[in-house]
Amino acid sequence: MDYLGKYKSAVAARSTSAEVLRCSQDGGIVTSMFLYALEEGIIDGAIVAGQGEKPWQPKPIVATTPEEILSSRGTRYNVCPNMSVLKESVRKYGLDKVGIVGTPCQIQALRKAQLYPVGLRDVCDKIALAMGIFCMENFSYQSMTQIVQDHCNVDLHSLKKTDIGKGKYWAYTNRGAVSQIPLKLTHKYEQPGCHVCLDYVANLADISTGSVGSPDGWSTVFIRNNNGENIWNKAVAAGIFETKPIESVKPGLELVTKLATEKITKNQKELEHRATFGVNKGLRNPYI
Amino acid sequence: MSKVVEVSPTTRHEGHSKLVLKVNDAGIIERGDWLSITPVRGIEKLCVGKTMHQAPKISSRVCGICPIAHTLAGIGAMEASVGCEIPQDAYLLRTILQCANRLHSHALHNILTLPDMYIPGTDTKINPFTPEEPVRTVAKRLQRLREVGQTVGEIAGGEAIHPSNPRVGGMYYNISPQAKQKIFDLAKEALPLAIAQMEFMIAVLKNWENRGTVTVGKTEVEIPAKFGYHDQGYMAVDPVFDSSSLDFEPKWDPDRWTDVSPYNWFQGEMEVSLEDADYPVGGTTKAGTKTWPQMQACTSVPLYDGQPVEVGPRARLVQFKNYDRKGAMGLQIARQLEYPDCLYTMMEALDALDCNGSVLADEIPQGDGSLGWNANEAPRGCDVHLARVKDGKVQEYTLLVPTTWNFPTCSRALEGAPWQLAEVIMRAYDPCVSCATHMLVVDESKKIVAQKLVQ
Ligand SMILES: Cc1cc2nc3c(=O)[nH]c(=O)nc-3n(C[C@H](O)[C@H](O)[C@H](O)COP(=O)(O)OP(=O)(O)OC[C@H]3O[C@@H](n4cnc5c(N)ncnc54)[C@H](O)[C@@H]3O)c2cc1C
Ligand code: SF4
Repeated sequence: MDYLGKYKSAVAARSTSAEVLRCSQDGGIVTSMFLYALEEGIIDGAIVAGQGEKPWQPKPIVATTPEEILSSRGTRYNVCPNMSVLKESVRKYGLDKVGIVGTPCQIQALRKAQLYPVGLRDVCDKIALAMGIFCMENFSYQSMTQIVQDHCNVDLHSLKKTDIGKGKYWAYTNRGAVSQIPLKLTHKYEQPGCHVCLDYVANLADISTGSVGSPDGWSTVFIRNNNGENIWNKAVAAGIFETKPIESVKPGLELVTKLATEKITKNQKELEHRATFGVNKGLRNPYI
Repeated sequence: MSKVVEVSPTTRHEGHSKLVLKVNDAGIIERGDWLSITPVRGIEKLCVGKTMHQAPKISSRVCGICPIAHTLAGIGAMEASVGCEIPQDAYLLRTILQCANRLHSHALHNILTLPDMYIPGTDTKINPFTPEEPVRTVAKRLQRLREVGQTVGEIAGGEAIHPSNPRVGGMYYNISPQAKQKIFDLAKEALPLAIAQMEFMIAVLKNWENRGTVTVGKTEVEIPAKFGYHDQGYMAVDPVFDSSSLDFEPKWDPDRWTDVSPYNWFQGEMEVSLEDADYPVGGTTKAGTKTWPQMQACTSVPLYDGQPVEVGPRARLVQFKNYDRKGAMGLQIARQLEYPDCLYTMMEALDALDCNGSVLADEIPQGDGSLGWNANEAPRGCDVHLARVKDGKVQEYTLLVPTTWNFPTCSRALEGAPWQLAEVIMRAYDPCVSCATHMLVVDESKKIVAQKLVQ
């Protein structure tokens, strides 16, 4: 099994913009990339997770200005249906070159839409840059509220950042307090749909990025195909990113591989279990 | 002795129809019936009881060439019934959508028309699929015009085929300034193409008319002087867009409309007595075959002031621009003359459009069962939808579709032409038979007549 997907190169990187880094989740790869691509005309807009109605609830938006892209920095650990505005981006926004960020399942949806465009006329040829983010699992908004407010004891209005790392769920407040809970407390809140997901590092994106493998403030980046490579090389040459060989950072790809293997193995078991879920009958398997 | 010849199915138009022609010894049509043999889908019946939001989305699926007409006429009829005025910017977006659809539809019809025509000054018929010049350039221009039409339709209407943006009360969304600019750029690009296409088509159509004779299959036939003439009237409500019962001065009158059943209009049972195996492609119906237009026709026959009328591009130009060219080519030329206005009107609407304006009415009444109608000038002519909405549900829904109006009129226009050219007359109407096929038949007192015919 190919746990990290196909890629041309992997690096540790971070944005050279202090402004981006001030609020980005990790190395600010996604935000800086979109800002650069917008400026260069590689994309004319990007689908990102904007601010929803409730605190820390994301809402997909079609961002066409640097301000909109900047204001959607940071991970929101609950579902944001980015693909729902894919068609809208080429309709009411009239985009010709769409940038898009998504978790592995969302990038799968994108690629499926491009190859089997059911009800998605004139969308597939307008995707210019697909940025994938690593993802172990996701939560519903209610779940995330419960984890942060009840388990971490942090009010959503004073929450500054949440993060999953080192086996813990972290909540940072605006006034500098940190609280953390063991990840195993959060398992029951996970979206059940995530338990059949066999992709950790957004295998189908042009470029994928996540925190695991690189030091704090840095990101692990996979450059996966020609399109991703072209854009990445131009951005690095333009001084948008600082990079280090992935071999030179700790814990490096070894940890990424370990976590990817864990996720995929565990979820493959779940799929097998579902095949024999009932008595003489099972549940559907979307992969066959 | 007159003979009966039947062309079934007819080709190079939308849907499924046939021509049943009674001809004299010289093969000249004495009486012609052009009728739909498309299965009735019964949209009007199945919409009863559905919500006013759903019904127009269903009637859009009547036809995929002019879904804009059915969507907008359907929604317009619902709005007219409940008494809902839509905001200006929603109206402008609908206008843009309307123009985009007409542009694409006329260009598509050029492709269907051209194989009947000759490259001017030659005896070579035009094959739109040939890689050779000068036809290749024309084909590419047509496809670009259609692409522009469909792209603008997608942006303003949400979708080029079955637009998603229109809704009862206005539109689901306005467009971004960037999208507005994109439409403007596309319209500017398409304008010279549309004018060139118009001039090309008119030259080709006039050349055909002046040829004297044309070849169909292996037969050379003469074009009569009054090719495709008829004495029926014209009906149109607007040069470009629509009229509705909400208007201060509505341009259509439901009291002047009646329906008759095909039984009263078309010919009775006959036997095919003339056949031509060389009629392209595959020959005509075999001699000895029974044919029965009044039983087989799948449309009702709508009348205006008790008469069939012509609707479409010529009707619009006659009503609003004093156009007076008659016959099948007169109708074809009128269609070409509409090209530039699709783009001028689109640009004017864009200029007026405020991308920050609201596109949904503040209040959408739920209706008390009053009759409302909207007449949309579809590419093929006046498409009238009538509805009664009560408590948000459709109580009654009727579609009077352009090709339905044109069926009996065109049948009259066939008289005097050699039967081999009947399809050329029919194509001048740009028929859309799926559009035309619907099933309610009402009499003078607007009561639904029992359906003895349409099983
Ligand atoms: C549900 C979830 C689970 C994750 N799990 C892991 C993990 O196990 N290991 C790991 O290394 N990384 C994980 N990540 C990725 C990580 O949290 C960062 O998003 C990633 O490193 C990008 O950081 P950045 O600084 O480059 O991006 P930034 O510049 O901060 O931009 C982040 C981008 O992600 C978008 N985004 C935010 N929330 C969502 C959402 N819910 N759905 C879709 N898009 C969103 C934002 O709009 C923004 O464009 C996860 C992310 C999510 C959303
Ligand atoms: S775990 Fe898989 S299914 Fe769940 S959000 Fe992440 S990528 Fe999507």
